[in-house]
Amino acid sequence: MAETEIRLEIVTPDSTVYSEIVDHVIVPTANGKIDLWQHHAPLIDRLEPSDIKVLKEGKVEYLAVGAGFVEVYAEKVSIITDQAILVDEDNYEEIEEAIKRAEVALEEAKSSNIDEAQLQLLEAAAKFEHARKIAKGKSS
Amino acid sequence: MANTRDIRIRIKGVKNTRQITRAMQMVATSKMKKAQEAAKSGRPYALLLADVIVSIADEFEEVTQSYYVERPIKHRGILVIGTDKGLCGALNSNLFRELNEVDSSAKFVSVGKRATQYLSRTRKDLLADFSLPDKPTFSEIRKLVEFLLNSYDEGRIDTIEVLFTSFINTLRQEPELIRLFPLNDLDSMTNKLHERFGQPDHVAPKDTREILFEDRDAVLSEIASLYLKQEVFQLVLEAQASEHSARMVAMKTATDNAGNLIDDLTLQYNRARQAAITQEILEISAASFSE
Repeated sequence: MAETEIRLEIVTPDSTVYSEIVDHVIVPTANGKIDLWQHHAPLIDRLEPSDIKVLKEGKVEYLAVGAGFVEVYAEKVSIITDQAILVDEDNYEEIEEAIKRAEVALEEAKSSNIDEAQLQLLEAAAKFEHARKIAKGKSS
Repeated sequence: MANTRDIRIRIKGVKNTRQITRAMQMVATSKMKKAQEAAKSGRPYALLLADVIVSIADEFEEVTQSYYVERPIKHRGILVIGTDKGLCGALNSNLFRELNEVDSSAKFVSVGKRATQYLSRTRKDLLADFSLPDKPTFSEIRKLVEFLLNSYDEGRIDTIEVLFTSFINTLRQEPELIRLFPLNDLDSMTNKLHERFGQPDHVAPKDTREILFEDRDAVLSEIASLYLKQEVFQLVLEAQASEHSARMVAMKTATDNAGNLIDDLTLQYNRARQAAITQEILEISAASFSE
């Protein structure tokens, strides 16, 4: 076991998206991006919809995540989010379409009388789609 | 004894019925598997969420956010998860029997037509009824959960409890009443959660974590409502798995019974046929004797 290992776990309501030992990981939080290595102090923070950069055995991986929470504890980074996707499995056309769909839905919602919670949900969805695009852009 | 033609028609009818029940059994089997899978895949999320709630709450001297404080219970709020369709054995009646012990001040929210029918027939205080599709998504649960939270916020109900059929195995499903809100006893909540997911020896990590966000009450309420949503989602999926497996068993029994009936009828038919043949021979030979 190398010295700089930390377990990263990303779970969504539908599944466990990622659960592996990694070297270090850069996570977008409400207070900016934080780089988490082994022996990091335990913490809890909000997760911002954006990209997560994972460094594992010299390789770099990107994931897009939605809003949620991040907890660092006992050499483990746990990320609870409503959506997450590995960008390697993603492709540009799909992302562009998804962004369009999300934004159209958001615009429609804004013009019609829709309740606040639903609007927030659509906004979160749109943000997530943008995060997908950013993450994809960085990985290629 | 019935004549052969009548018996033949009956056999045909029973065969048709058996075909239908067998098809329903197969559909229920595949649906049950899917619902079970869906319920299982959400478990890590629920566990992690519960751990985070506990560790956040541990950091504070006192949690005053209303989701975490027990208040005097005037009206219990109970969500009853029934089924939309029948033909699933004693599932619903077992479920509703649990309600006999609940006192009349309780208020109800129902999911599924059968639950709605039962609650209105027994004149319980029904706040709202929801219907969910087979294999609902997380977002389809939202309306239901928001209604529960609103009722809780406005003080119409003082607890949020869920009555559902828990899935033990394919042959056994038992009604269970779980209290989700208020989250005043977090330790027992996580323990129960781990027990339900088959990890009874779990020890909650007790150590301080630095909390980096400022709006603590907002986060606490947000994460509690997330937890509620997740739990309700899980329980709905589990109730559906139970429904489908109960239906599967009921339909299997029906198919088997139809098979037995067909065997009996076939025997009867053969006897009747044989009797008719014998009768005919007798008549012919009697006629030839008398000549």
